[in-house]
Amino acid sequence: MSPTDEPPQASAGCPVCGEAVVPGDAFCESCGTELTPSDAATTGAGVPRDESFPVPKTMKSQAPGVGDECLECGGEVLDDGFCSVCGKKAPSPRDHWQESPVDWVGGVCDKGIVHARNEDAMALAGMPDRSLAVLVVCDGVTSAPDSDRASLAAARAACAALVGTPLPSGDAVAARVSAWSAAITRACADGNAAAIGVARSLGNPSEPPSCTFIAAVLHGDLVTLGWCGDSRAYWLPDEGESVQLMLDHSLGTELIAGGMSLEDAERDPTFHTITSWLGADSVDATPDINSVQLRSPGWLLVCSDGLWNYASPAATLHSLVQQFVAEGRRTPTEICAALVDFANAAGGHDNITAALARYEPSLR
Amino acid sequence: MPLPSSTTFTAEVFQNEYLADGATDAHAVVSVTCAGAGKAGAVGDAAEIIIVDTSGSMDMPPTKISAARRAAKVAVGEIVDGAWFAVISGHSMAQMVYPPHAGMAKMTSVTRAEAMAAVDRLRSGGATAIGAWISAATELFGQVEAAQRHAILLTDGKIEGEPAGALPAALAAARGRFQCDCRGIGADWVVDELREIATELLGTVDIVAKPEDLEADFEAMMQAAMSRGVPDARLRIWTPQGSEVLFVRQVAPTVEDLTSRGVQVAPLVREFPTGAWTDESRDYHVAVRVPVAPVGNERLAARVELVVHDEVVAKSLVKAVWSGDTDLTTRIDPAVAHYTGQTKLAATIQKGLAAKASGDDRTATVLLGVAAKLAHESGNENTTRLLEKVVDMVDVDTGTVRLKKVVDKADEMALDTRSTKTTRIRRES
Repeated sequence: MSPTDEPPQASAGCPVCGEAVVPGDAFCESCGTELTPSDAATTGAGVPRDESFPVPKTMKSQAPGVGDECLECGGEVLDDGFCSVCGKKAPSPRDHWQESPVDWVGGVCDKGIVHARNEDAMALAGMPDRSLAVLVVCDGVTSAPDSDRASLAAARAACAALVGTPLPSGDAVAARVSAWSAAITRACADGNAAAIGVARSLGNPSEPPSCTFIAAVLHGDLVTLGWCGDSRAYWLPDEGESVQLMLDHSLGTELIAGGMSLEDAERDPTFHTITSWLGADSVDATPDINSVQLRSPGWLLVCSDGLWNYASPAATLHSLVQQFVAEGRRTPTEICAALVDFANAAGGHDNITAALARYEPSLR
Repeated sequence: MPLPSSTTFTAEVFQNEYLADGATDAHAVVSVTCAGAGKAGAVGDAAEIIIVDTSGSMDMPPTKISAARRAAKVAVGEIVDGAWFAVISGHSMAQMVYPPHAGMAKMTSVTRAEAMAAVDRLRSGGATAIGAWISAATELFGQVEAAQRHAILLTDGKIEGEPAGALPAALAAARGRFQCDCRGIGADWVVDELREIATELLGTVDIVAKPEDLEADFEAMMQAAMSRGVPDARLRIWTPQGSEVLFVRQVAPTVEDLTSRGVQVAPLVREFPTGAWTDESRDYHVAVRVPVAPVGNERLAARVELVVHDEVVAKSLVKAVWSGDTDLTTRIDPAVAHYTGQTKLAATIQKGLAAKASGDDRTATVLLGVAAKLAHESGNENTTRLLEKVVDMVDVDTGTVRLKKVVDKADEMALDTRSTKTTRIRRES
């Protein structure tokens, strides 16, 4: 909550966990349950609305509402929630949304094509003065039911924890890195607690909902990130070599560490089996930490495997972003939307999340 | 003219929305129920015409013409005060019985008595020119401002005394102008002729084998007409771009294929006339072939709405969800399965009787056996009873039957006309 926002008014409460819910919210902040209008009085379905997130930003839910254009054919979405021309179901806000907290930070989270639900989640924040950006992406584990709720609860809890962290003072890089490392580790623990809370609200199912975790903090010229699982971060500078900033916690990584080539490993059926995650059945939810100091303008990308499955090498993602910028996409959210379209065009076999923060040394 | 606020329509959809990868056809049964319809004439005048066959054969035996007189009088008695009405005597041409001039009268106690007296003077003689009778009714209805127009047509014989094209031409002109319930008295009329009229003019068709039963039948028919407080409703069906409507069928209370009656009213929207409504339920089976979408996609296959005065009074959605889960995609909705069977039952009976009429007893035996099995399995006891008058059931479980050596022609006609009557599916509560 920023100090300028009106305090949220609690209404009836979440039907699953009983937590107070904020009017207008489509999902419970606490456990991620989809809310009906009676749970939280919503504004008109066709009106893009400010979501109430505990982070300072200006966000619109961009799922098409009544009277909006169908995402597929451009027809009008009718009040029954389906397109008037092609009949496509307009996605729910949980199935497709974008966040643009400030003009230099944005992301898109999308169901993809093949999966029935969007189990990816993201939570983004940014300061207008470009001092801080927070990008959190969590990818729900499909084999565990209700992981869509765990991922959303975890992402929001972690993002809120990071936004609430006092900015480390001073310019000493080492001090800033250790401050953010500790903050990300705490935020990851908060995310884990939120995912476990979802399991508890569901009566502790034998297969508890779980998700990956990655949080990247861009503080001035310093990127610090922590992760559990195979959601990724990349640094894509305008000039120079792009890099993947971390290694997946997955059997794929272990295969490569054992000497297998990347190409062969990606074809191995165990490649995507993650070895670290958040949730009630997590063995160790302590994130790995990495940091990098940026020297030139570029894009910090955080994404789920729904995107990188189709563009794993950093250079490939870099050229995609360059191509979309050259085609006239200017804002991070526009570029992320193009990345999501790219993944859907390639098959959309998994949920897709892409979040970008723009780094510009000259504007600091 | 708006409907009374007491009138409510509800629509409920029954379907398995899950389609296998690559599947294209969405089937659904939409059940539409009307409540609080009120009375005919509540929203604009009602108009009624009674058409009585007075051809020469109505005197053979004379109990037919006297039964027709009594039945017509009972029907006149049921028409509400204030409604437009007329009685036509049909023979080689259509002749006004009441009012005496070529027009319609307003129902009052005076005109009711005058009309009954005029009906008493009906005499028989001449041919059967049903096309001419329909044309006369169309013209009379055109002279009055009415919200709903309904006719009862009684005949005892097949069309003679007008060219073969007269009836189709008359029906083309009458279509959409009025509804017509048809009754055949005795066993010398042709089921297909009356069925064609009833189908085109959104009415019912039935046999009244015994003249003494005609009065009660006319009374019930006119009471039903007078209880239809919703003058006109249309089924409006939207289907997505690139799709094809495979068929639209009314499947309860009777099977009526509506597919060819659709009128394109907007690029993706067709409307099907359903006539007037009383407090009742009708079920529609809608089948749409939609463009394939990848597994995981959910799309609308049809919006099915009931429209009164261009206002949507009930709406239901037919969906298509592509799934890789065969447990979901292989299930057939019980309502869709039931009415698919009932439609097949009606068609099989009609084909079986046609084969029997053409002397192909072998085909008739096979088809009526299939029908007996279908009727038995679906619990359609009325149809089973009608079939038992035409065939001997040897083994109903396997559909083995024998054609009866001697069949009353009226029983065969009853089976034919009532073959389209369906049983409702037993819904789990």
